[in-house]
Amino acid sequence: MRGRPIASRLLLGLVLIAVAVVAAPRSSYSNQDREMPLAGASMHHPAGTDALGRDRLVRVAAAFLLSLAGAIAAAAATTAAAAGVGTLSAFSPATLGRLGMLVCDVFLALPWLFLLMMVRSALPLTTSPAHSAAVTFLVLAALGWPACARAVYRGALDLRNSEWMLQARAGGLRGKQIARHVLPNLVPLLMPQFLICIPAFIIAEANLGALGLGIGEPLPSWGGMLLELDNSAMLLQTNWVYLPIALLILILLLLEAIAVEV
Amino acid sequence: MKSAVSVLKRLARTLLIVCLVVIGSTVLIRFAPGYLSDAREMDARYGDGARAELSAEAGRSNSMRHILSTEMSAWTNGSLGLSRQYDVPVLDLVMPRLAITGGLMLRAIVFAWMLALCASLLSSAGRNPSLLWQAPATLLLAVPTAAMATICLVAGSGGPALVMTLLLAARDFKFLDRLLRKTWRDPHLLQARAQGLTTLRLVRAHILPSIASQLLALATLSIVTALSALVPVEVIFSVPGLGQLAWNAAMNRDLPVLLAVTMIMAIAVTFAGMASDGNSEWQGA
Repeated sequence: MRGRPIASRLLLGLVLIAVAVVAAPRSSYSNQDREMPLAGASMHHPAGTDALGRDRLVRVAAAFLLSLAGAIAAAAATTAAAAGVGTLSAFSPATLGRLGMLVCDVFLALPWLFLLMMVRSALPLTTSPAHSAAVTFLVLAALGWPACARAVYRGALDLRNSEWMLQARAGGLRGKQIARHVLPNLVPLLMPQFLICIPAFIIAEANLGALGLGIGEPLPSWGGMLLELDNSAMLLQTNWVYLPIALLILILLLLEAIAVEV
Repeated sequence: MKSAVSVLKRLARTLLIVCLVVIGSTVLIRFAPGYLSDAREMDARYGDGARAELSAEAGRSNSMRHILSTEMSAWTNGSLGLSRQYDVPVLDLVMPRLAITGGLMLRAIVFAWMLALCASLLSSAGRNPSLLWQAPATLLLAVPTAAMATICLVAGSGGPALVMTLLLAARDFKFLDRLLRKTWRDPHLLQARAQGLTTLRLVRAHILPSIASQLLALATLSIVTALSALVPVEVIFSVPGLGQLAWNAAMNRDLPVLLAVTMIMAIAVTFAGMASDGNSEWQGA
């Protein structure tokens, strides 16, 4: 349990640094310094610039905040959907419960990356970058809930068959009153699911972006910045190209450490 | 008789899931906001008349019934539909790539399993989880597949099979290590060890049979993981497989191809799941 507070504090520190970098005056992720494309570290650009002369540090900080916020929102939506479907399936008649789990099976049978690609490729040609970011995380949330819902279903079934629940039902408690007791008991199950979803969604967004199907330019994203690694000429010119991947791995390790310790 | 009924029930459920997957994917595509937009409409070489004809064509084929019947007839006549990009039956595009992708996945899964099994047997023999084994696995899982593939390509060492093997081995190792660690602590195994049975005999005669059903479930998970790694790996290493075909189709909005590849993957996952479930039930019986 020692690792969790350290990982949480480190992550919080990184978030604060990223906010400070993005909120600093005259720093914008889309500002181009046309005189200095692919520049090394300097006073103006502490981590150099990319091929279009944009400050790499600001873009990395903005990508970090954007992906973290998007992944947290998507994980929250996924967990809420899973809690709803799992609990309702467990507490409804057996046929409805089985139907709910059949829907989960259908979603689990779909290869998520192919489905994501399918939905992303069917977006209008004129989709704005902000819209593409919202859709990417929305689709991730829409596809992430079934595995979590199965786990919630199992947990809720155990609760339904528990002795205190039998007592509560025999005592005439209504659905709303029972829900008030059931939901807090599901929190230990939902919390790890929520925390596991965050790094999974960040990796999914990075993979999609690296395929050119993630968040649209000029919005910064991990996937978009990983595309820079494809350019061998750029790799020879500056080592700062490796900053996004190094930071991404660090963040994922921190999130993993937090999730494992819960 | 009972097991035959159980297998039939499972088969019926699998077929139902496959049908629902087809319908669900079609609905998803039909109601995606850009379904009716066609890249050709933005091509300056097309005149106004041609563009109007394209819009009219899209409008004619936008009903769910029409899309589903077209898909069903394409699958029943074996062509899997017509590619918008290449104007050839999707089957002609899929068949040559299926062997390449299958070979790559098979190699990666076999190597990954060997690596993960050996590592987890060594790791689980220790009293506590060792950082020596856990750290590389955790690190490998924290690297996005696309980044790992790009780094291998840039470094000029390792190919698609290596990237997929490392990813799968890291994931399998995490599960296997936990599973074996738990199994080693079973009272009957502690007793057997105390009586001096060799480790090899313990693994062969006691551990592997007792975790066989979990291993099968993990094998299904390996297939799912390999499928999700397939697209970035094939695209970055330019492997002419199903993943690259799907990516090309996504970039060029070739939805019939994308839908067909998604269906093939979904069917593979569903049948693999059915096989592992069926086996565990049979063992239980």
